[in-house]
Amino acid sequence: MGATHKKGIVASFQYFDDFLDSIKAIKGKPEFRGHEIYSPCSYHELMEFAEEQMGPSQVRWFTLVGALTGVTAGFSMCLLLDYDWPIVVGGKTAGVYSLPAYFIFGFEVMILLGALCTIAGMLIMGRLPNPRSWVLHPRITDDRFVVFVPNALPDGDQARLLQELGAEEVYGV
Amino acid sequence: MSDLVTWDKTISDVNPGILVGLKNPHPSFYVALSISVVCLIIGAVFWGIEISQGMGVTGLNAPVYWGVLITDFVFWVGIGHAGTLISAILFLFRAKWRNSINRSAEAMTVFAVITAGLFPLIHVGRVWVAAYWMLPLPNTNNLWVNFRSPLMWDVFAISTYLTVSLLFWYMGLLPDLASMRDRVTGFKRILFNFMSFGWTGSLRQWHHYETGYGFLAALATPLVLSVHSIVSWDFAMSMQPGWHTTIFPPYFVAGAILSGCAMVYSLVLPLRWMFHLEGFIRKEHLEALIRLTLLTSTIVAYAYGIEFFIAWYSGNEYEWAIFQKRATGPYAFYFWVMTFCNCIFPLVFWSKKIRNNTTVCFIVCVLVNVGMWFERYNIIVSSLVEDFLPSSWGHYEPSYIEMGITLGSFGWFFTWLLIFCRFFPLVSMSELKLIMPKPLRKKPEGH
Repeated sequence: MGATHKKGIVASFQYFDDFLDSIKAIKGKPEFRGHEIYSPCSYHELMEFAEEQMGPSQVRWFTLVGALTGVTAGFSMCLLLDYDWPIVVGGKTAGVYSLPAYFIFGFEVMILLGALCTIAGMLIMGRLPNPRSWVLHPRITDDRFVVFVPNALPDGDQARLLQELGAEEVYGV
Repeated sequence: MSDLVTWDKTISDVNPGILVGLKNPHPSFYVALSISVVCLIIGAVFWGIEISQGMGVTGLNAPVYWGVLITDFVFWVGIGHAGTLISAILFLFRAKWRNSINRSAEAMTVFAVITAGLFPLIHVGRVWVAAYWMLPLPNTNNLWVNFRSPLMWDVFAISTYLTVSLLFWYMGLLPDLASMRDRVTGFKRILFNFMSFGWTGSLRQWHHYETGYGFLAALATPLVLSVHSIVSWDFAMSMQPGWHTTIFPPYFVAGAILSGCAMVYSLVLPLRWMFHLEGFIRKEHLEALIRLTLLTSTIVAYAYGIEFFIAWYSGNEYEWAIFQKRATGPYAFYFWVMTFCNCIFPLVFWSKKIRNNTTVCFIVCVLVNVGMWFERYNIIVSSLVEDFLPSSWGHYEPSYIEMGITLGSFGWFFTWLLIFCRFFPLVSMSELKLIMPKPLRKKPEGH
């Protein structure tokens, strides 16, 4: 699936509990190495499983770097432009930097760059955009849960195990 | 709230139910779209008159340089706030009921903020040079903008808010665009695949998507609270009696959320009927929205009361005089419409029977929006007409040009919203599945 276009088997599940039991059962088995999991939505149990499998998402570092860059850029913009041309406001001494007022810019640009970097992180870590994506099962985005096992055959041991675990359909691609 | 919903549908009904509704909207949809386009054209004509003849046609003159156009700006920014409240803040609070209405609320936010963004441009008159005044660009004397000005803060706040709202909304659409892709063929399939970035629903994608969505919500939450606080500082940072108060930021935020919740209800109710979504946007979800409207209405009523009390308690005679005149002077009509629509009429929502009566709720929500527009007008105009110098006092009433542009802004907003609803799912399908019963072979105990 994805941009891989690998050969293997696709097992689709109608029931979420069967699917969850299956992905836990095949986890770490050498004959299922490189398997991929697909779901129409992000059930909590599935997200917990993903965290166990892949660890915490690295998107958080994108957010942190974006936010820190933003707050620095926001304050720097005000301070540098004030340095470039000090504006006398209300008779106050030119060159006295108004940090409380600049806080607004620091805050807003922090949010802006934090959000932009978060989106970048979501896309990069999720390997998107992926214009050559290949839809393994027409109902993955509808109501079916799918496991793809590369380098497996429809009449192989992997297919048999998935069927025993409750897959409603197993076929080769 | 959604835990209490007894669903008669399964997750298998979600995609067909919602996407089939897109193809066959009720004929009233086309009537609504036609009315919106007509209003938009009227607004464009009046804006054209303003551009060609100058700002004098708006009736803005000393001492009132901010009138209906700035009222419209604050009104539309406020409308957007409930969208972010529902999509981001309620997401962080894990309020499940928001999953059925968050898409429509987010769309409302995006189009409302785009509408609001037009008003500073309309208000400056010479729109073609607005960029020089609003962006941090040096002018012909190489003079930079004043970063100590709340108007400059506002430019950054609104543009950040629009960008973040737009991204939040679009990222939420990705899984649904992939669902649409998987139901069509040919060019549409290529188009939806492009728009969904090739989303496949893999565990890796969901893992990073959910984390990122949470961070976006966490960033959008302080943002939404800051934006209307900053809008309120456009007024509160001045020395004008009636504006120079510290209560303005929370008061504006509460008012914004009240108007936004009422607007979401006013939009969702007819749209759910036009697109046959009654099975997905349930009456329990609508009732939860009404409860939120009631809550924010009471906060707004408290803010009105405290504002009056502090005006008296402060001993500042100019402040107190403005407040007395708001209630009894030439703008008393606006004041009492505001008070009744925002504080008195929503009290009917204490009755559960009325909360479940969609007709009454719809009428009260429309009245709340009328009241919120009057609130902004009341704050802006009644303070400007009378400042510290009696020699500069004046009077202001909206001109037909301004009201035409206001009508046009509603046309602009509804045209974009209805076009969106016609082509994209009004309910977030992937999020709705999360609050419906899971498809389980072994039924959970108690079911």
